[in-house]
Amino acid sequence: MKTVCRIAALAAFFTGSAASAQQLAPSPTLDAIKARGHIECGVHLGLPGFSFANDKGEWTGLDVDYCKSLAAAVLGDATKVKFTPTSVQQRWAVLQSGQVDLLSRNTTITFSRNATLGVNFQGINFYEGQTFVVRTKAKVVAVKDLADATICVAAGSTEEKTAADWFRERNLKVTIINFQKNDDAISAYDQGRCDAYTAGIGALAGQRIKFKDPNEHQILTEIISNDPQGPVTRWGDERWQLVVRWVLNGTIAAEALGVTSKNVEEMKAKSASSEVRRLLGAEGKFGQMMGLSDDWMFNAIKQVGNYGESYERTVGMGSALKLKRGANELWTKGGLLYSPPFQ
Amino acid sequence: MIRFLRDRKVRDVLWQALATVGLVVVVVFFVRNASDNMVKAGIASGFQFLWRDSGIEVPFNITGYKPSDTILALLWTGIVNTILVSAAAVVVATVIGFTVGLMRLSHNWLLSTLAAVYIEFVRNIPLLFFVLFWYFGVLAALPTPKESYDFLGIAFLNRRGLSIPLPNDVAGFQLALLAIAVLIVAQIGLARWAKARQARTGRDFPTWMVGFVLCGLLPIVALAVAGAATSWDVPTLRGFNYRGGFVLVPEFVALFMALSTYTAGFIAEVVRGGIQSVRQGQIDAARALGLTPGRVVRLVVIPQAMPVIIPPITSQYLNLIKNSSLGAAIAYPEIVAVFMGSALVATGQAIEIIAITLGIYLTIGLAVSAFMNWYNARHRLVTR
Repeated sequence: MKTVCRIAALAAFFTGSAASAQQLAPSPTLDAIKARGHIECGVHLGLPGFSFANDKGEWTGLDVDYCKSLAAAVLGDATKVKFTPTSVQQRWAVLQSGQVDLLSRNTTITFSRNATLGVNFQGINFYEGQTFVVRTKAKVVAVKDLADATICVAAGSTEEKTAADWFRERNLKVTIINFQKNDDAISAYDQGRCDAYTAGIGALAGQRIKFKDPNEHQILTEIISNDPQGPVTRWGDERWQLVVRWVLNGTIAAEALGVTSKNVEEMKAKSASSEVRRLLGAEGKFGQMMGLSDDWMFNAIKQVGNYGESYERTVGMGSALKLKRGANELWTKGGLLYSPPFQ
Repeated sequence: MIRFLRDRKVRDVLWQALATVGLVVVVVFFVRNASDNMVKAGIASGFQFLWRDSGIEVPFNITGYKPSDTILALLWTGIVNTILVSAAAVVVATVIGFTVGLMRLSHNWLLSTLAAVYIEFVRNIPLLFFVLFWYFGVLAALPTPKESYDFLGIAFLNRRGLSIPLPNDVAGFQLALLAIAVLIVAQIGLARWAKARQARTGRDFPTWMVGFVLCGLLPIVALAVAGAATSWDVPTLRGFNYRGGFVLVPEFVALFMALSTYTAGFIAEVVRGGIQSVRQGQIDAARALGLTPGRVVRLVVIPQAMPVIIPPITSQYLNLIKNSSLGAAIAYPEIVAVFMGSALVATGQAIEIIAITLGIYLTIGLAVSAFMNWYNARHRLVTR
């Protein structure tokens, strides 16, 4: 009798699990986001074009747009994000302690950060390169002309180390002054404490507007580093990391496949391309595999747009920064952006 | 056993032992819990990072630190910079504080009003504002390197700081310092002898005049001889900046000025309170003895006011040392800026770094209070 009971219980268990389509790995982060109804996104304190609160208090920028896409994919509504501004020093603690679900704030991917901070980098949404801003009247053309100069920089940034290494390797002497916040370093440079201020070329394009007279300054075109930047999550919770990674891939894939916020409904209904149909949830049930609804990327693209649309609006020709696509162009057009296939 | 516990002394010891063990257990629990959780989250922990290369530039240091040194050397540079600016500011704040405190008590209306205005002004302004005010004030007042103020062609003052020449060889200066030490010891001995003689015979000796020669003029001669004997690394304008020599950076000057003028306002009030605690009868009596006003203050008022002044002044010194952490706001490379700022972000080991920084401030603070308590006990008025 006992044996019969056991067999019956086992049989019931297997049929039950087969019926519920798929067992998902537990994801405390996703559960918490769904319970609280919004995503907690750590952004930069204020970097025009990337994450910047405008005069109405609305956050705008490329990194901000990514978090909005994520909210649209997870919760179906791009406005359900709370932005937490974080300084260079705070960012890791804020992420590690779980105050934010992810960082999307001009943070360079480096080996030692990945290996020692308990954080994972989920792809690249901006290829940044470090350069310098100098006074036009200083007549600096190349970076090596900055020998014997004084350079202001934000303490603990990759820029601090990159600049120190670059000049040391070339036996050039410079004085580097470390400020706790980017804005302090910028105003000290503006006051004449330093001959140059260093940051990524995209960041500089945005920060330049903070100077008293932006026309007195020039950004060097020579790049001394490659600083790939993208969303960061803490270790653990693989399913949440999967979502963060593939929403970013999805926005890039959408641009490559020609899906925009304007044609997304038409594409979902009529597109002959299987990849487009899988991306937008018309076939394949890809959203369910991660525990999201199948129209995850449809919502993200409809509400925020694909990567190219977001780029042009925030840092590209449609913005005050007027940055060319450069390395941040699709690989098919000579850039470095590439999404793995949605298969 | 029960009778043993009835002894009050034994019970006291037992309770204290229990409390200590409890505290240790709680600390060990929290430390282990934190380290377990950090290992689980993949965050590096431990103190090995102190021996890693720092790679962080420190523009102002007297320890000879280079970016290729370890993070431990960086920490030491930060500590030295903290102590340097605090020590300089403590001395100047004490001098200004005593002066303003005495001015506040002056019968001269202008002097006492000026002192009152100064005290109220600095006491009611946030220190961070004060630091930034000095910093941007200093920067705005100074010229660019190409238009530097030139002092005899060897020292130059501009927005990048004050560049002064450095000796290439310090052996002569070590001898000069030795000579100065001998002179100071001689002065102390002379002062003791003069005091003893005055007590014995009543005859005055011009101790201050001799001291001025011994501790003022002769050291200058010694330093001048040493300076002439060595070659100098004189700053020269190369490209953007003056190179060579030693640069006193504007961050140091701004922080030093802010800390000393700010703390002086508090010290002035402490001094005023201390002096007012000396009874008027003492002053009248001293005057009646025919002492000059200066001697009334120096020999009667101050010695009786000191026991009242020293404990609160110790708190002001401790505040000043802690306030030096505001140097981080203007890129002065003190311990918070280089260690809790740059090194923390470079390594990400927040718990260890904050614990070390706490420990260092605690050590400096306890050392200062221990010294002040010792000083106070030693100079306590012997009452009969």
